[in-house]
Amino acid sequence: MKSIYKKILALGVVLFFAQSLAADETLELKEHFLKKIDEVILIVENKSLSKDERNGNIVKSLTPMFDFELMAKLSLGNKWKELLDADKEKFVTLYVERMKQSYSSKIDAYKDEKVEVKKIEQQKADRVALVTDLISKTEKLEIVYKFYKPKKPIASKDNWLVYDVEILGVSILKTDKAQFKEFLQTKSIAELMDALAKQS
Amino acid sequence: MRIFYVALFLSIVFNFTGCSSKTPQEPSETIVSQSVGTAADDNELDEFADEMEVKEICDPFSGYNRVMTSFNDGAYEYFFKPVANGYKAVLHVEIRESISNFFNNLYFPMRLTNNLLQGKFCNASEETGRFVTNSTVGVLGLFDPASKHFDLKAHEEDFGQTLGFYGVGSGPHIVLPLLGPSNLRDVVSLYPDALLSPIDYTKRSYWTLTDTWSEYLGAKSFEKINYASLNMDGYEKMRKDAVDLYPYLRDVYEQYRDKQIEE
Repeated sequence: MKSIYKKILALGVVLFFAQSLAADETLELKEHFLKKIDEVILIVENKSLSKDERNGNIVKSLTPMFDFELMAKLSLGNKWKELLDADKEKFVTLYVERMKQSYSSKIDAYKDEKVEVKKIEQQKADRVALVTDLISKTEKLEIVYKFYKPKKPIASKDNWLVYDVEILGVSILKTDKAQFKEFLQTKSIAELMDALAKQS
Repeated sequence: MRIFYVALFLSIVFNFTGCSSKTPQEPSETIVSQSVGTAADDNELDEFADEMEVKEICDPFSGYNRVMTSFNDGAYEYFFKPVANGYKAVLHVEIRESISNFFNNLYFPMRLTNNLLQGKFCNASEETGRFVTNSTVGVLGLFDPASKHFDLKAHEEDFGQTLGFYGVGSGPHIVLPLLGPSNLRDVVSLYPDALLSPIDYTKRSYWTLTDTWSEYLGAKSFEKINYASLNMDGYEKMRKDAVDLYPYLRDVYEQYRDKQIEE
C-alpha cells in the first residue's frame, strides 16, 4: 500500500518538474527574443552606418530567428504542393528577399521606441506566441510574434523560429495567403513571381 | 523505494538541464539542412493548416470596390499627398499632433457611449477622466496630459464595434469614396456615430462645432489632411507589401476590425 503512495508521489514530482521545464523553455525564449531586440536597437541607433549597411545588419541579426522559408510555403497554401521543384525554389528565394526588405524598412522607422513582452501564450508544446507592445512617445502598437519549434533543428537557425507576425491583429501570413490566392485565380505563378520580384 | 529515488534523480537532472541550456540557438547533433520541396513539406503544411485558415470575406461588390480602391489611391497620390506635404512644410509636427489631439478629444461622446453600450464601465470612466483632464489641463484637448502624466489610456470604440460585440457580422465589404475600406456593418454605424459627433452639418439642439455643409466639409478636410500629414509613411509602407492593392487592403481592414471587436 505504502509503495503506491510513493509511486504517486514520484509521479507527482516528475510532473511538477516537467512543468517547470516547459515554463523554463518559454522564459528562455523570451530572454533570447529581448536580447535580439536589444541587438537590433544597437544597430538602428548606430548612426555611423549607412542606411543600406544598417538594413543589411538588421537582416543578418534577425535571420536566425525567422523561418522565412516556411512562411513562403505557408503563404501559398495548397498551391505549394502543385508547384514544380524549380518554381518552388525560385518562389522561396523571391519571398524571402521581399520579406527581408519589408521588415528592415519597417524597423528603420523605429526611433526611441521600446519593446515590452506583455504575455506569453503557449497553445501547443511546440508553439509559443510572444505578445509584445512597441511603445513610442505617443502610442502603443501590439505585435505578436508566433514561434514554432521544428522537430529537427535547422542548420544556422535558432531552436524556436518565428513563422508569423501579427501587427494590431493583422497577420502578415494570412494577408499574403489571401492576396496570393486571389492573384492566382486569374493569373499564373510566373506572374506572381514577377510581381514579387518588382517589390524587392 | 528505489523507483522514488530514480524518479527524483531524473526530475532533478531534467530540471537542471532545463536551466543550464541558456543558449537556445545552439544546434544539437541532428541537423537537417533546409531543403526545398521534400515530402516532409506537405506534413509541415498540414500541421499549420488549422492556423492558416483564411476567413472568406463576403465580397459581392468586388468590381466596384476595386475601381474605388484605385480611385482612392489616385486621390491619395495626386491630391492628399501633395497637399499634406505642403501643409507639413508649414506646420511643425508638434502643432499637427496637437490638432490631431483636439479632434480626437471632440469624439469623446462617441467613445463614451459605445464603451457604455458594450458594458465596458472601467474603460468608460477612464475615457471620461481623459476628456475632463485634456479639456482643462490640456487646453481644449490640444495636449494629452491624461496619458502622459495620469496614465489614462484611450479606448477607441465606435458603433461598428458595438454591433460586432453583440455578434453582428461584418456583411459585404464596401470601399467608400475617400474614406477607404469599410463594410456594411461599419457603413450603417457611421450614422449613429455622426449623431454623437460635434462636427456636423445640421442644426441641433445642442452645441456643435460646425452648423452648415461648408463648415462641415472644411473641418472634415482639415482633419483629414492633418491626419494624412502624420500618417503618410504608414500607408506607403503598407502599400508596398501589396501584390494586388484591393484584396490586400480589404483583408488588412477586416482582420484589424475583428481584432478591435475582440478586445
